[in-house]
Amino acid sequence: MTTEEKFRVERRQIHDIECLELNGFLDAHTAPILENEIGKSLSQSKYKLLMNFRNLDYISSAGLGVFMSFIEEVRDKGGDIKMSSMNDKVFSVFDLLGFPMLFDIHREEEYLIDKFFNPAKE
Amino acid sequence: MRTISENDSCYCTINDSTELEKIRGFVIDYSKRFGFDDGLSYKIALAVDEVCSNLIKHAFRNDKTKEIHISVRIANFKTLEIIIQDDADPFDPLNTKSPDMIEYFKNFKKGGLGIHIMKLIMDEIQYIPKNNVNKWNTLILKKHLS
Repeated sequence: MTTEEKFRVERRQIHDIECLELNGFLDAHTAPILENEIGKSLSQSKYKLLMNFRNLDYISSAGLGVFMSFIEEVRDKGGDIKMSSMNDKVFSVFDLLGFPMLFDIHREEEYLIDKFFNPAKE
Repeated sequence: MRTISENDSCYCTINDSTELEKIRGFVIDYSKRFGFDDGLSYKIALAVDEVCSNLIKHAFRNDKTKEIHISVRIANFKTLEIIIQDDADPFDPLNTKSPDMIEYFKNFKKGGLGIHIMKLIMDEIQYIPKNNVNKWNTLILKKHLS
């Protein structure tokens, strides 16, 4: 299996929100690919980032670390990294460590798109 | 899928992060055959992944001539034991302090979560550093069937 078959990112633009679809699994081997992809968004001054996890099968701390390494810069620039559509196993890893304290995580992508426009929404 | 017996044991080696998927598959398969559900098997594989990722990056510094040996066995028909062995400089993960996650998020910290994840998932952890007689550090991760 090639590295691209193990993990790849597809992009969609929804208004001024950049949606990154994560496919495959995120571990110590593939996390640098995501780091590079988020870096590309930031280099184009895109700071409203929506990660769609519906096709992500696995995440380890190396994957979690990618989001931690960008979140401060993204929020300093007035943006955010929001996360949608995780399967139960992937969500259980975020939940185990308390990541929902820091990140907006929701089942529905549409809910988070709306929240980018209405930040006060609960 | 065949079930496993008390005397079964499986063995696998890994020396590169490209092989993490292989080791997860190995652990998930064995855990499910022992009787853990999908979710727990996934978490046990995550704990092993974290140990191996740390060894490859920090202890081996990505030196592919080094190897991690992983074997799995059953104790008393109710405990899954995963034995992870390496010959790097000893490092006892039980001597590390678990992070305060509220402080961690407040300060936007990075890294250092692998050992914490391992401790949260496993029921018991034992570490035996290498010595003059045995050249392998041995980490034993235990998970009980409830």
